[in-house]
Formats: sequence, structure tokens, C-alpha cells
Amino acid sequence: MPVPFLGLLLVTPALLVVTLLFIVPLASSITGAFDVDGNFGIGNFQKAFELYSSDIVFTIVIVLLSSVLIGLCSIAIGGYLTLGNNPRAVSILKWLYRWPLFIPFIVVGQILRTFLAKNGLMNSMLMESGILTAAQTISFLDWRGIVIAFVWKQTPFVTLLIAGAMASLDRAMIESARNLGASRLRILVEIILPQVLPTLLVGLILSFVTMMSVLSVPLMINAQSPTMITASMAFRINAYGDYGVANALGVISLMTTSVVAWIHLRQTMREHR
Amino acid sequence: MRKVCYPLVALALTTSPVLAEELTVLTAGDQNMVDYVNEYLGPLFESQNPGTTVRAVGTGPGDAGSQKILERFDAQAQANVGTWDADVAVVHEKFAGPMVEKGYLDAYRGDIENGKLATGANSKMALGTNVDGYVMPMFSSQTALAYNPALVPTPPRSYEELATWAKENPKQFGYNGIKGGASGVSFVMGWIYAFAGDADKLMNGPFEEAETAKWSDAFASLKDFTTNATLTPGNAGTLDMLSRGEISMGPVWVDMFYSWKADGKLPPEMKLVLPAPGMPGQPMHYVIPEKSGHKDLAEKFVNLATSPEVQAEGIVKRFNWYPGIDAQLVQSKLDAATWDKLFTDISPEDLAKNGKSFPIAPYNTAILEAYERQVGN
Repeated sequence: MPVPFLGLLLVTPALLVVTLLFIVPLASSITGAFDVDGNFGIGNFQKAFELYSSDIVFTIVIVLLSSVLIGLCSIAIGGYLTLGNNPRAVSILKWLYRWPLFIPFIVVGQILRTFLAKNGLMNSMLMESGILTAAQTISFLDWRGIVIAFVWKQTPFVTLLIAGAMASLDRAMIESARNLGASRLRILVEIILPQVLPTLLVGLILSFVTMMSVLSVPLMINAQSPTMITASMAFRINAYGDYGVANALGVISLMTTSVVAWIHLRQTMREHR
Repeated sequence: MRKVCYPLVALALTTSPVLAEELTVLTAGDQNMVDYVNEYLGPLFESQNPGTTVRAVGTGPGDAGSQKILERFDAQAQANVGTWDADVAVVHEKFAGPMVEKGYLDAYRGDIENGKLATGANSKMALGTNVDGYVMPMFSSQTALAYNPALVPTPPRSYEELATWAKENPKQFGYNGIKGGASGVSFVMGWIYAFAGDADKLMNGPFEEAETAKWSDAFASLKDFTTNATLTPGNAGTLDMLSRGEISMGPVWVDMFYSWKADGKLPPEMKLVLPAPGMPGQPMHYVIPEKSGHKDLAEKFVNLATSPEVQAEGIVKRFNWYPGIDAQLVQSKLDAATWDKLFTDISPEDLAKNGKSFPIAPYNTAILEAYERQVGN
């Protein structure tokens, strides 16, 4: 058998899987978004904006804010893992920070629902220790709960990526900066960070896309209005059996993630040039 | 001996699945619905019909669960499947109508002995669609306001009183909006019944587009009310917050309320009130697909499930639901204490007067969308 033909044959199963399970459903939901009672139209999008404009804004703001916080937290953790002076603290942190990686989103939602409630575990502990009184407690089960859930769950993922990148940097540069008297914060910001920036960006983009698609956390923590697009899509289907508007919301969400995917692609192209 | 024995055993093992019939029951609703079939009704049916097995499949809580069953039927109808993979389905009232209209269901009520016990209006009409003959009500459930008597000594008896009370007690009333479960939806429907005119028309039809224009004021006041209330995450979320003392009142499903109390998840002193002019409740219906592979067995199953004995022991005593069939027949099978437990807080008279049904399907959709437009967004 000629080699090019063999190669094509080897690729076929993968290609079929991608086409049948990914491209066909994607295409059908995109065309479904423009299907208004069997005709082509943008009625679904008009309705989506009319009813859910605040949900769309809410989702983008929440996910962006979470991404920023995830970035800051993972830089802090990664930085300490690379520059920490106390070997015991470093190894404990290294062991601890990955845990949330293995916990599904739905469980995170469940844990935080009891933890962040007005009379939940967190406020009870603060009250026991005398920091708060019963009248001062507030519930975090709103947009803050979603942000906390996202940051808690996605920080380890990004940290894993950038801690790896930081570990593979040339130590000589860090050591020489240290010998010249640079503080650890300065080394992190001026020497390490610029070198791991592409990795950080990739981690944040992947987190962004993941967070856009999470349904369980908003459902568990804040299924009110405004809520995340995913919860509205589920509601549209379950309460009205209306796939048109749900698909339109899906396309809007897809366009948002396309923007960051485009940044990601540009980044990779530049690296491979 | 062995030569004969082994082939016989092998034969028995390989042929027994053919003799045994498997009845597949799809059920929408919370976990308690699946538990009901798996722990109570299924074993009872199997013991009465040796050799059969009952397989219960839960399709998820709320309307989403019934929507999944409807889509499953849609798919099999479109694919022209000869025998469908479900023999009995338990669906919400809202979905019985579309299933009948699409011709998916068998008109079996005349064929079963207990069919005549379904005397309620809800076994004839389902949110404006004639379903007479196609459904048997499994149970009726009702929403009501649960409250903490320690914080609310005299509960509001009507929606007007509730609105005043909520203004005086900011953030003490909690409900789950309309995206987190039907108890919140029910509260909103009750609000429209109370403040936007004609409840009878909304419940019985006919649908008129002009009617929807009358709701704006009611939604404007609901928006005010909502900013002054606490929003809870889901049906269970309302009960959670009530038990933790974070809210002192909120709409709940009556059966869930009693079950949580029985399980110790809710303090025993919590009470219920059904405010005037009323809040909706709904039945869950047993339906049999036209293309079920085991129709006779399925009819037998529903007949058992709607017998006065099972309704008394299973529906009322174990799961705290209101009976689906004629209540008097069920009452005679139970001791007074068990029966009275159902009506501790809400008397049968209150239930008859203030237990409403949901609006007919087009109004239902219109109210939900109007809520999203005017209160949500």
C-alpha cells in the first residue's frame, strides 16, 4: 500500500470521530440558532438579548474577574514554589495546592453552598473566633460565591502550568539577581514573570473557556437573575423546550470564547515562527 | 447424572431472561420519585407478579425530567421504532398534554379496574388540554408558604398581607426565582392570580394575547417585592435557608416539607400556610406509551399503583403526598392519625379553596417570559 494512502487510512477514524461527534452537532446548533419556526431569521438572538442581556454581561464580567484573580493567585503560589526559602513550607504548599484539581465542579458547588451560606461553616467559624457577630454575617451565595468557586477550582490548574514553566527557567539568572541584592518580589515580577507570560496566558485562556461552560456551579450557588449564560440555556430548554433561544445563547457564548481562542492561536503561531 | 444436570442448568440460565418480563418505568422528579418505585412499588409489583422485574429510571428533577421523557418519545417516534423502550412513564402535568396531542400515549384508563377511581378534574384536563382516558394521577402535590413560628407568630393569610409583611421584614422572605425549581414558579403564578385579575381564565383558558398586557403592574410590584426578598438556590435551598434561620418564610412543596421534617433536616416547629387567593399545585401522571412492549403488564402496574391500598400506604403514609385518586377511598384505608398528619397545617377546606392549578400552557409560558423580561432582566 502506498504510504500517503496508509497515512490517510490511519487518520480516518480520528477524523470521523471529530466530524460526527463535534463538527456535526456544532453546526446543527449554530444553524438551530438561526431557525425561527422553520425559517431563517435572527428572532432567537433578539429574544436572547431582550431577556438575557444582563446574564450575558454578568457571565463575561464574572469570568474575566475570575481569570484575573486566578492569574494573581497562581503567580503568587508559583512564585513561592520557585523562590521560597523554607524548604518545608515549599513542599507542604506543593503537596496542598493541587487538591482542587481532582474535585469536580458540582462538588465544589456543593461544598461552597454549605460553606459560604449566611449561617454556614465559614461565618460560624468567624463568629466562634469572635471576629464577627451574628448580625454582621452576610451570605456569599451570589456572584461572589461563583467567583470564589471558580478561583478555588481553576487556580491549581494554572499554577501547575506556570510552576512547571518557572521550574524550567535558567536558575543562574535568578541567582545572579539575588546576589546583586534584588528582593524576591522584584525577581518574580521583573525576571520570572516576563519569561513565563506565554504559559500563564495559555493557562488563563483554557480556564476562561472552561468557566464559560460550567453549569453546575451557577445552578448550585446562584441560579437567580442575573445568572450565568449556561443556567439560562438550561432553563430555556427545560421550561420552554425552546432550543432556538438556547442555541442563540450558545452561539453568543461561543463568540466570546472565540475571541480568547483567537488570542491563544496568535500566541502559538508566534511561538512556532 | 452430571451429563444431564449441567445442560439443564445451562438451559435454565439461558432461557430464563426470555420468560421473565422486564417493565421499564421512566420517572421524572426528585430522587424521592425513583425511591418510591425502587423501594416500595417495584418490589410490591414483583412479589405479586413472580418472574417480572421492574426497572426504574429517573430522568431528573423538575420540568427538565419530563422534558427528557418527551424528547425520548420524540426521538423514537421520528425514528419509527416499533417497540419503545419505556412501558410506563411518570410525567408532570405540563407534559401530559403535548404527549397526548402528539399521539404518543395509549388511552388505557378505561381498561383498568381502578380507572374509575380517578375522579378529580385533573385526570380529564391538563393545563388546558383534554387528556381524558390517557392519564392516571399518581399523586397531587401542592405548594404553600413554610414559616418559622418563632420569628413569624402570625403568618400572612393572603398575598396582600404577605406583601405588607415582607416590606416590614426585609430579606426575611426567600424564594428561588423561576430558574431554580417549581416552588418559586408556583409563588410567581400565585402572585399573578392575586394581583393581575382573572385566575379562572388563566387556569381554564381560553388563551387571549390581550390578557398578557394586564400583568405589567403586578410584575412591577413583584420586582419591588423581589429586591426586598432573599433569593435562594432551588427548592431545597429555600428549606435549607429556613432551617438555618437565614430566612423566616418561603414557598415550598408540601410533600418535601413533611419529608424533610420526618428526616430531621428541618426543625419540627416549622409550619405551613396556604395564602389566599391560592398557590398552584400539580399532579404527577402515570402514562403508558402507545408502543410499549408490555402493555398488559404496564396496565397491571398502574392499576396496582392507583389502588386505594397503595395510595394509602405508599403515597400518603410513606411519602407525604396528597392522594391522586378519590381521597375518601384512601382515607378509609388509613388510621386517623396518619391522615390528619397531611392536614396538620393546611385544612382540607383551605386546600379545596386555595389549592389552585397552574395556568394553561400558553399563559404559563407567557408569565414565565414576562417575569424574565420585567423582573429578571
